[in-house]
Amino acid sequence: MKNFRVWYLYSINSFQRTLTNRFITLVFVVSKFIRIAIFLFFLNLLLQGVSSLAGYTREQIIFFYLSFNLIDTGSQFLFRNVYSFRPLIVSGDLDLILLKPINPLIRVLLGGMDIMDGIMLLIILAVVVYFGITSLSVPVFFWLGYFLLIINSIFISAAFHIFVLGFGVVTTSVDHLILIYRDLTSLMRIPVDVYIEPLRSLLTFVIPLGVMYTFPPKFLIGLLSWQLIVLSFILSVVFVLISLVFWSRCLRSYQSASS
Amino acid sequence: MRRYLAVFLIDWQNQFVYRLNFLLWRLRNILRLLMTFFLWKGIYQTGSAVFGFSQPQMFSYILLVLLVQSIILSAPSADNIGGEIGSGDLSNYLVKPISYLKYWFVRDLSSKLLNVICALIEIFLLWLIFRPELVLNFSVSSLIGFLLICLVSVPAYYFLSLLTRFVSFWNPENTWGLSFLIIIFIETLAGSIFPLDILPAWGKLAVQFTPFPYLIYYPAAIFLGKITGFYLLRILLQAFIWMLILFFFARLVWIKGLRVYGAEGK
Repeated sequence: MKNFRVWYLYSINSFQRTLTNRFITLVFVVSKFIRIAIFLFFLNLLLQGVSSLAGYTREQIIFFYLSFNLIDTGSQFLFRNVYSFRPLIVSGDLDLILLKPINPLIRVLLGGMDIMDGIMLLIILAVVVYFGITSLSVPVFFWLGYFLLIINSIFISAAFHIFVLGFGVVTTSVDHLILIYRDLTSLMRIPVDVYIEPLRSLLTFVIPLGVMYTFPPKFLIGLLSWQLIVLSFILSVVFVLISLVFWSRCLRSYQSASS
Repeated sequence: MRRYLAVFLIDWQNQFVYRLNFLLWRLRNILRLLMTFFLWKGIYQTGSAVFGFSQPQMFSYILLVLLVQSIILSAPSADNIGGEIGSGDLSNYLVKPISYLKYWFVRDLSSKLLNVICALIEIFLLWLIFRPELVLNFSVSSLIGFLLICLVSVPAYYFLSLLTRFVSFWNPENTWGLSFLIIIFIETLAGSIFPLDILPAWGKLAVQFTPFPYLIYYPAAIFLGKITGFYLLRILLQAFIWMLILFFFARLVWIKGLRVYGAEGK
């Protein structure tokens, strides 16, 4: 409960900080929408040029892309603070966080929720639901499973971000690492099934980005077996646990440089 | 001239200080290339030609994009310009007998040289690993055209990035906003994910009136010999006009910015 209250305070502070410059906030939100719109346009063009993509219809591919944006924006909304972790490490200011009687991950992972992504998230969520209902016509029960798998994806994303933080402690190179993660996730703008083997299996089972981004929409479309659903939840639990162990190991090598 | 040569050499050495950072940056470029490569490889499983592009033509384009990005888009952490204006560190440069804009341009060139060397090695290694069939039917005129458009687009991109960073004169705490918008346009409209030939005629015509296709798509298309003759001359002229426009605005905003600059933070 204490951790939740601290996280709530960090989030309010972060929102207020962002909103001090409404114009820049607007520029960011508009830019992100432009990116989504242009890629949708590209997908549309592409699907006019080829009959189908990995057996998926035009509507299904668009739904995959919208789901990608939902998960991606949700992750950025929650874990934005990871992007500003490096200065804490190189300046030694992480000391000030480690000294506090709260779990340091609350601060470095969740302590900078991004209201710009929050706005985006709400709009994308509305678009996903509207598009899903009008184009895919699936039972309500499937939506429940879809959102459970989305939450599962957020946990996997949390694990990825914790890994980046751990590497950041050891190497001080957070900026490019998090961007490498972002580059990898951008592979998932289209379903993992489009990629050839062995990349497809690598992206599904080794770096579970396929589980994260492709499984929820696949479930909604009715293409995910129950074995893979169970596997995705197990994978997420294992991945989070390993990331937490990794983080605590990495913290031991923190040298408090420059402090 | 000797002063700028010294800046070039110092910056060249500086790039080897944070080696892991540099390696990760190059890794990102390779990953992006692989992403595009596998995306198109997957798409080509459904047909032999997409948008009139055969698979070898598309792979040649993708590899060229990596080279063009290294020549035109690679730059030192240009956020520093915004940061220096915001923190007041710009004053340190203004009192020195050196042009701040030329100083950063020389650093830009130093970064490009290293990135181009790395890109050439990476392209060779990727070609060795994947052995994709390539179509490189370029002529002497296309090679000259490619060099000319690079000569124009390198400063054009520099002026464009300066324009976004000069926002810091008026808004020192937010140096990233406009840059982000430009990055999005470069990502999508410059031709890094897909060649602009896939756009409908009106779309291709419209993007010509933006500076973005001159940064990736046109250099790559010229190198591949897709743009020749009078069309090549027209594109070169358009690229040159864009460079002049961006230079004019960058200089104008710089002068206006210096008038409001108060060296806050110093």
